[in-house]
Amino acid sequence: MTIGALIFAYNNEQIDYVSMAQWSARNIERHLGIPTHIVTDQESATTGTNRRWFDDYGQTFAWHNESRVNAYELSPWDRTLVLDADYVVASNQLRVLLDSEQDFLAHRWAYDITGIDDFSNLNYFGNNRMPMWWATVMMFRRSNHARLIFESMTMIRNNWEHYKKLYKNKSPSYRNDHALTIALGIVNGHTLNYAGIPWALASLTPEHQLTQLDTDEYRVDFLTREQRPRWISLKNQDFHAMGKRHLGDIVANNP
Amino acid sequence: MNTDELISHGRSRFEHAAAKRLLKEKYQGKLTFAFGGGMWRAGPELITLLTGRSEVDIVLLDLYENPVRVIAPQLLREAEQRWKEQMTAWLVEYEELNRNR
Repeated sequence: MTIGALIFAYNNEQIDYVSMAQWSARNIERHLGIPTHIVTDQESATTGTNRRWFDDYGQTFAWHNESRVNAYELSPWDRTLVLDADYVVASNQLRVLLDSEQDFLAHRWAYDITGIDDFSNLNYFGNNRMPMWWATVMMFRRSNHARLIFESMTMIRNNWEHYKKLYKNKSPSYRNDHALTIALGIVNGHTLNYAGIPWALASLTPEHQLTQLDTDEYRVDFLTREQRPRWISLKNQDFHAMGKRHLGDIVANNP
Repeated sequence: MNTDELISHGRSRFEHAAAKRLLKEKYQGKLTFAFGGGMWRAGPELITLLTGRSEVDIVLLDLYENPVRVIAPQLLREAEQRWKEQMTAWLVEYEELNRNR
């Protein structure tokens, strides 16, 4: 049985996702002992039409996130981990997923590392507060079930305006998390009861400052709601760095 | 009452509580493991359930609420090992946290 990781990385005018993915691939090799394929297309990286606001840059620019639905087709492995380029692998935690017998796993819940935000908005989407599944980390086995999930995501992406209205989704851009959520609903018979990763996704929102203290050790500086400075450290813990600016600096310092 | 001391103490307690909560989230994940086709979380409940059972073959509900047939002594060994390793690591980090604050 073959196992590997897949990271989709399309640079835009500000963010070097490819370097992030290369750095992440080294972390994956070190902690999980599996190879990583980086899916990129530098040509198309400047021609996308999907745009979004990036809090940490204070600007709107291109966001190339629409090809994740091809993961099933592109993966050469029997078991595949699909990771966002900004997911920091700092432990062997994800190994548990690769040992699992489930066909498909993703996070249902994310939490704010700083505890400032209760993520009540981020863990749901749309006017009907659809429970959201995160596409940040996905594990799938080559199976009929996983294939249907990715095919459904493709259908949803290709008919995004329809699904956006159907789910009363106000998000201005297409999001893989939303497409995944809708796809999981369709494939699982809208039961809202399916297997997920059995721990929550540690997340760092863009307004906080991230620095690296040592290998697999990070410091997060943040302001409380009362604007008081606080910090917290992360050691041997995976997390989703939702702000790309600070992660980009860390990657640049680890060539 | 020294206000500066009170503020400093409150701040320290805030940071300690945040770090403690984060450690709990982290180790909840690290106590999870796959075994025998199921997903499990090492903890007193699972270990107690498996300890001292006379039958070797046992069917348990895993974290996904699927019934899984397992060899009880093997799952117990795995759970105990995971529990010991991760709780020790948790304690080390917690003590370091207390020292640093």
